Amino acid sequence: MAVRGMWSGTISFSLVAIPVYLVKAVEPGRISFRLLHTREYSPLARRMVCPEDGAAVGWDEIVRGYEAGPEQFIVVTDEELASLSPERSRTIEISEFIDLADVDPVYFDRPYYLVPAKGGEKAYSLLVEVLRRANKAGLAKFVFGEREYLVAVSSRDGALAVITLHYHDAVRSEEGMAPKEAMAPKEAMAAADEAEVERINGVMKAMLGEFDPAKYADSRKHAIRELLASKAHAQAPVEAPALPGEEAEGPADLVAALEESMRQVKAR
Amino acid sequence: MSRRVVEINGRRLSLANLEKDLYPSYGFTKARILEYYRRIAPYMLPHLQGRALTLKRYPDGVAKEFFFEKRCPSHRPEWVKTAQVAINGAEPIFACVAEDLETLLWAENLASLELHVPLARAATPDRPDAMVFDLDPGEPAGVPESAKVALILRDLLSRMGLESMGKTSGKKGLHVYVPLNRTEATFEQTKTFSRAVAGILQRHYPDLVTANMAKEERRSKVFINWSQNDAKKTMICVYSLRAEERPSVSFPFTWDELEDAVRLADPALLKVLHDEAVRRAEERGDRFRDVLSRAQILPHL
Repeated sequence: MAVRGMWSGTISFSLVAIPVYLVKAVEPGRISFRLLHTREYSPLARRMVCPEDGAAVGWDEIVRGYEAGPEQFIVVTDEELASLSPERSRTIEISEFIDLADVDPVYFDRPYYLVPAKGGEKAYSLLVEVLRRANKAGLAKFVFGEREYLVAVSSRDGALAVITLHYHDAVRSEEGMAPKEAMAPKEAMAAADEAEVERINGVMKAMLGEFDPAKYADSRKHAIRELLASKAHAQAPVEAPALPGEEAEGPADLVAALEESMRQVKAR
Repeated sequence: MSRRVVEINGRRLSLANLEKDLYPSYGFTKARILEYYRRIAPYMLPHLQGRALTLKRYPDGVAKEFFFEKRCPSHRPEWVKTAQVAINGAEPIFACVAEDLETLLWAENLASLELHVPLARAATPDRPDAMVFDLDPGEPAGVPESAKVALILRDLLSRMGLESMGKTSGKKGLHVYVPLNRTEATFEQTKTFSRAVAGILQRHYPDLVTANMAKEERRSKVFINWSQNDAKKTMICVYSLRAEERPSVSFPFTWDELEDAVRLADPALLKVLHDEAVRRAEERGDRFRDVLSRAQILPHL
């Protein structure tokens, strides 16, 4: 399988544990641009500067501060934050089975798929089938990166679909969103309003269709792509001057090992 | 014009202009330059062994014009060894290779105050024996800043499992060497590795370090010139004199000495002149010899 997992581990419930990979279900593919210097077209670097004298500030001189009030900060170190991170775990442990239809779409955050790892195919298909027949989704917590996520695992077209759910306290209450009048009970609706509802209902019926997502596309993205293609065709891309040693460059493995060593050197 | 014929190892060498002062503001004649190289030769020759020599010649002294000579002069004695080297795909040339005292003194008789050598031997021009970090401070930064960077570099390399050794450039810079001495080493690797290291240092010490070649970026910072890790580039050979006002030497230092210099904030501790160089070398031997023998592998490539 050509998809590369961003996380690998097991999904489990009761006594079953299935080795799986997590892959993204959507790839928004936003077209991104680098910021260049107008003169030489060299990519610009971001640098933290002191607003007082404009001097560059090194990473070893930067800490996080929570803005407690105007010009008042609570300083929190990386170590303190790290100590709060949930323990890394390699399992998606299903704790409940729910009806996904009961979940308000406002809770849906990001969709993923679970792909079976070697040796897990059979148990995986079994879980897919069980969820399909029961038309239920498994609710689980799982640690990814520094955070713990709440996810719903359901069956979709023979695969396990995962959607991360917002936590309850992150979802805004609906209170105050709807205008006061609309809260009034139905019976109180005037006859004139009743007629208007009927009329709009008729218009709506005439516009009924089947949702076909392929009919819609991000037209701006397409327009930008076309612009880029025609510009690339009409004129060669401008070339940035070779900037030796600009930022940390090199094989990712090496850069990561150097960063880690650098951290140790500075920690002494 | 004074001329003196000497015999070294059974070979006759005619030395000219011995009383000519090539370091006029200090007072250092060609005779004394030859004497310096004669005494330092036992320590220096292993580092010249098998390497295509670039002569930096100052026929009228350090204050006057100089020129680089990569091609071994055609009027050389027949016993001067040469090696064929191809530069940038051009017609190959013959470069001098100084492997004995007589060749070294012959080159010095040509007022080749500075001797530069590649990181690879002529027989294996694509295989560096070492990876180098050429620390070049931009005004007003100087030796103290270079020393600080060298110590960070040593610590970082050591965490990466690599032992490193340093020498002064004989000017304001320092050179940190990571011996490799392995048949599979390539310049592509040493360049990739050193470039990544330079980038990391720049990122973590933006006020102290730059990995950027551009002159204006180098002001008051130490430029880590990783691009010296290239088959086409040469480095000043350890123990070579420099064409400075005074006859200073590109001389090895120990990490303890460098730490002392930083702690005492005394950059003069790192300035080694000809007499001091001979004295220290004769007392302690070649502090740079591990560069030629220690075998190490660059990790994570």
